[in-house]
Amino acid sequence: MTFRERLFATIRAARPVLEEPGVLVVGSEVPNLLESGAASTLVVSQDLDIGVPVACHAAVKRRLPELLQYFEPSPDEPSVWTPRSPQLLEVNFVGVDASQDPAEAYVFDDDQLPLLVFGALSLIEPGAELDIEGSRIRVPRVAGLLLEKLVTDRTGEKGDRDLLVAMGLLMTAASADLDECVGAYRRLRPELRHAVRANLTLLSLIDARAGMPDPRPQRAAVAALLRRVEASAEEPR
Amino acid sequence: MSAVFERRLREQRARVLIRTHGYRQRRHAHGVWLRLRRVLADAGAAYAVSEADARALVAEGHAVQPVGAELDPPKLIVTVPADRVRTMAGAAPVPIRMGGDLLAAPCLVLVPFGPAPPQSGDH
Repeated sequence: MTFRERLFATIRAARPVLEEPGVLVVGSEVPNLLESGAASTLVVSQDLDIGVPVACHAAVKRRLPELLQYFEPSPDEPSVWTPRSPQLLEVNFVGVDASQDPAEAYVFDDDQLPLLVFGALSLIEPGAELDIEGSRIRVPRVAGLLLEKLVTDRTGEKGDRDLLVAMGLLMTAASADLDECVGAYRRLRPELRHAVRANLTLLSLIDARAGMPDPRPQRAAVAALLRRVEASAEEPR
Repeated sequence: MSAVFERRLREQRARVLIRTHGYRQRRHAHGVWLRLRRVLADAGAAYAVSEADARALVAEGHAVQPVGAELDPPKLIVTVPADRVRTMAGAAPVPIRMGGDLLAAPCLVLVPFGPAPPQSGDH
C-alpha cells in the first residue's frame, strides 16, 4: 500500500471530523495534498494533523464517535488517535485560536478531546477546499502555514522534519502565495521575524535524509525567499 | 491536564525562552552561527582552498565575509563568481552544510546563486 493510499484512506476514515466547518488539515500532509493530483510524494511524517478551531471544539467532539471504528484515543497522548489498522495513519488533533499570540501555547482541557493550542497556528487562515476521492477537506492558505512552520522553534530531527514541510510548501507555492507570506512576515514583531530568518537559514543547510524529500535542490528558492523577507522589513539595531 | 500536555507546554515555553535569549544575543558572539548560516544560505557552491589562493582572491577585490573573522580559529571566507572558481585547480568542493568538511576548512570560497529560478508552483 502506498503512502498516498494510506493518506487517502485516513482522510476517508476521518471524514466526519474533517468535513466539520472550520476544521483544517494542517501540518506535514498539506504539501502532499497540494501537489498536482495530491500526488503525496513529499512524505516527512506518518500522521495526519487536524486543526480544530477552539470555537468548533464542541461540534468536532460530537462527531468523534464516528471515528471510533477506525481509530482509538491514545492512552499516552490524549490528542492523538491511533489507527486500528496499519493501512491508516495516526491522527493528531491540534487546537487553533486566531486570537492567540504566536509565541504562546495553552491547553484547551476536555475529558474527551483535550487540545494543545499552539499560538503559531494563529497565523493560518482557511484556504482551498480539496476533493479527496469524495471527501471535501479544507487546507490553510499556503502563506500562513509556511509562516507558521518558519516561526516555530524546533530542535533535532523533529525540527528538520518540520522545516522539510516548509520546503514542501515552498515547492507548491505560487508567486502570489509568496507575496502574501512576505506581507504577513512584515506584520510579525521583530523577534518572530528573526525566528523566520533563522529557520530559513537552517532549512537551507539541511542535508538529505533517507526516505524524505531532498531539500538541496530547493536551496536557491529558500535563499530567494530569505532575501525577500530581509528586504521587506527594517530590523531594529 | 495530562502529564504529556504539561511536558509539551513546558518544552514549548523553554524553546521560546531560548529563542528570546538568542534574539537578544543576535549581535553578539552567540549570533555568529546565524551569521555564518546566513552567508552559506546565499551560496550555491562552496570550495575549500589554500590560504595562498584565498589571499589572491582578496587581492583581486572579491568580497570577504566578515563572519569568518568572528570564528575561532578564524576562517577566510571569500565570495567569488563561478567563472573565477573554475580557473582554480586546487579548489575542492565541500557540501554546504554545517558539517566537518566545511567547518574544518580554514579558507572557503563561496559561489553565490545565480538569478532566482521561477517558482515551480506558478500558474
